[in-house]
Amino acid sequence: MNRLDATRLLVAAVDAEPIVASLGHPAYDLFAAGDRPANFYTWGSMGLASSIGLGLALARPELRVFVVDGDGSLLMNLGSLATIGWTRPPNLVLIVWDNEAYATTGGQKTATAHGADLEAAARAMGATATATVATEEAFGAAIARARVEPGPWVIVAKVAESAPAVKPPLDCVFIKQRFMAAIGQAEDATRGGRA
Amino acid sequence: MSVEPRWASGVCEGLHAAGSRHVVYVPDNPLSHVLRILRESFPDVTTTLATREEEAFGIAAGLYLGGARPTVMLQSSGLGNSLNALTSLLVPYRIPMLIVISMRGDAGEWNDAQVPMGRAVRPICDAIGLPHVTVDTPDTTADTVRLVGQTAFGTRLPGVCLLPRRLTACPPKPRRRRVPS
Repeated sequence: MNRLDATRLLVAAVDAEPIVASLGHPAYDLFAAGDRPANFYTWGSMGLASSIGLGLALARPELRVFVVDGDGSLLMNLGSLATIGWTRPPNLVLIVWDNEAYATTGGQKTATAHGADLEAAARAMGATATATVATEEAFGAAIARARVEPGPWVIVAKVAESAPAVKPPLDCVFIKQRFMAAIGQAEDATRGGRA
Repeated sequence: MSVEPRWASGVCEGLHAAGSRHVVYVPDNPLSHVLRILRESFPDVTTTLATREEEAFGIAAGLYLGGARPTVMLQSSGLGNSLNALTSLLVPYRIPMLIVISMRGDAGEWNDAQVPMGRAVRPICDAIGLPHVTVDTPDTTADTVRLVGQTAFGTRLPGVCLLPRRLTACPPKPRRRRVPS
């Protein structure tokens, strides 16, 4: 399973649910798989995709919030698993594309290439709905459950690199405003109104 | 409201008046007063503990995207842990929040290790384009915090409220009681 194919599977499986993407290749592949207003592409803040997803899930408990993170990014903010583990938002689905490398920066090996187990880390911190998957069938089945069963979900997807050839929109304010409008939370300043 | 210390009660009133109902924080001693007063007197405010200040800013960014008006509380030492979140998420995406920073390293400091970052807080805020206001007295705390919050949410840029030690360290905090919470 490569990351782009898995991302396509995710985009096909969700309806209007928001997807927050970690910077670099996870965001590029999400754009390639299907640009949609409910995609929040980060262009920096490495490590924080799961935290952004957590905050969104806490603010909007009726929304199922998906995050596509990378192994290198999650390793940079492992404390996020502890916070997710005790706040336990049932509507958060954290997907970790684990290619065991910093693929965006040239393929240097991460700790997961040396045995670090991010699903076990999530379970140790209190997440109970977890899976590690390595095939499209298993990933599809995990997503189908995570869409409807209580989380927080942490799905570690072992993926091959997919060398994305496209990039999402660059304008950060555009990404934010389009995203917030898509989830029914348009910023007041974008709407106009009474003088 | 006359809960002591008055500056801490002012922080709670100010953030509440600015419309904030979510506080994400990494604690320090002065901020423990704010957290206690929030717990006791502001039942509609949710507090979330983060493991690190940068994580707190990420969580607060997600809260804002979901329609909340978040506050982040931290000690000045934690600003150093947060710079990538501030410069590559909050500022370029114009994600506003009220940031309340309990100062170390300023007048009244006893710990050498707190001084360099304390001295750097204002120049760092200026360099990355974050407006900041220093609270002067207990009496003006509520209004200052409220105005910084309202400006942040109104202009969609994070706003920083600095609480100097001369405000938070006087009077000395009460002796800590050894009781289970």
